[in-house]
Amino acid sequence: MRYYIGAEARLRRRVEDVAMSVFQGWNYEEVITPSVDYYDLFEQGMGQREAQRGFRFTDNDGRLLALRPDVTSSVARMAATLLADRPRPLRFCYAAPVFRQQPQSHAEWRRENTQLGCELIGVGGKGADLEVLRVASEILSSLKLQSRYCITINNVEIFNGVAAQMGLPAPAREQLRRLIDTREAGELERFLTDYGNGVGQAFLQPTQLTGKREVIQAARDKITNERSLAALASLDDIWTELEALGLADSFEIDLGDVSSLDYYTGLALKVFIHGAGTSVGRGGRYDGLTGSFGRAEPAIGFVLNLDALTEVLARSETEK
Amino acid sequence: MLTIAIGKGRTQEGALPLLARAGIRMSDDELNSRRLALTDETGQYRFIFVKPADVPVYVEHGIADCGVVGRDVLLETEADLLLPLDLGIARCSIVVAAVDTDVMTRAAGMLRVATKYSRIASTHFGARGIPVEIIQLSGSVELAPALGLADLIVDLVETGRTLRENGLSVVEVIGESSGRLVVNRASYQLKAEEVARLVNALKLVGQD
Repeated sequence: MRYYIGAEARLRRRVEDVAMSVFQGWNYEEVITPSVDYYDLFEQGMGQREAQRGFRFTDNDGRLLALRPDVTSSVARMAATLLADRPRPLRFCYAAPVFRQQPQSHAEWRRENTQLGCELIGVGGKGADLEVLRVASEILSSLKLQSRYCITINNVEIFNGVAAQMGLPAPAREQLRRLIDTREAGELERFLTDYGNGVGQAFLQPTQLTGKREVIQAARDKITNERSLAALASLDDIWTELEALGLADSFEIDLGDVSSLDYYTGLALKVFIHGAGTSVGRGGRYDGLTGSFGRAEPAIGFVLNLDALTEVLARSETEK
Repeated sequence: MLTIAIGKGRTQEGALPLLARAGIRMSDDELNSRRLALTDETGQYRFIFVKPADVPVYVEHGIADCGVVGRDVLLETEADLLLPLDLGIARCSIVVAAVDTDVMTRAAGMLRVATKYSRIASTHFGARGIPVEIIQLSGSVELAPALGLADLIVDLVETGRTLRENGLSVVEVIGESSGRLVVNRASYQLKAEEVARLVNALKLVGQD
């Protein structure tokens, strides 16, 4: 719970305006989704574990409702149903509060956060991936955050390919994911000795999972399965484009970003800014999502946290 | 510059020699002063000394980029941090202890457990379906069974001497704990080179 008063409210409004005008410059249409919807929608859209963080309550007829914990679910359903006949691709953007309880991290204590987000639906491949990365980076640059922000990119299929090759049962796969996510080098080494037969070696050196292009090269030497290699190749392609656009300084590859494997299906990204202790944005490709609403098609999107951005910018203004 | 939060007490005693071996030293003047924030001789690191339970708080909020803290504290706070290195310092066990070691098998409708680690204790007993009432204390937990406040305690044990002298013995070991290097998720990306340098330096001396 938080108030924004006077100058802070103006700053917050300005940040929102900058983001929305960048979105609109890329032809993203604004969409306003319902704040209250049936809980089923969010469980279908986010998976049970994430959706349960929403605030839930019942309607008069006993059906379970939720205060929206995300916007993507609603947009995906809208694309698959209301707009099923509209020509693709669809581009939508929004600035909307979402509500969640039991935050993953104690540092992200807010129940209410406003997401500045966009979704690009109905087109896959490098072009779409690159487009959303460019939109995200243009917003951050327009906010005068050049050289202060870093967008990490990964492709979740690299992990998925390795886990499949190792033939891990679900609990062991989750354990491997967690050890990589928290970079527990010692435990990871023991785990890979027990299960790996040399397969998971690409994840062994946590400090070598992040960096520029050399990360991809190092992983290629240690990965043998087709699925992971294809994902590495597509990450490599994106990196080439980012370099050509002169954006490589603001991007990092992070093969250890495996935080939302059951949600994303390809490219995954996170946004970090100096001065904010947690990530201020995230996104990725979620080709599996619209299918659960009856029309399977590729989709990608990201959100930035308006409140976190405002806080960082407010602090740097007072420091001036 | 990296800011590193260090848990005061046992963790600090283990961490300072390790840091010194990695070439990260503070002058004696600084160490003997009562200041809670010190800079190392090279000016690359700033150290803050806080209560162990507060280390995850400082690191999670990004006030400190890194921290040194026991695994026991991490389990209890469930903080969202990166844990790249087990430093092998301040080793101890997290145990269940009681006066009679058969207390858990005697048919008790509910056991009372005194502890500083209420989350670890309730997770441990909850996973086994043993009904317990957790009594949260902030110190001298070993007294609780003798005075009739609790049937069991969950606590850290280093040598076992305090347990013995208070008439308690270990019923079971929940887990092992040792000092960990923890890193803030944002710092790990934004100060990647500095963090990697610290991790690698400590890894080398940790293997000695």
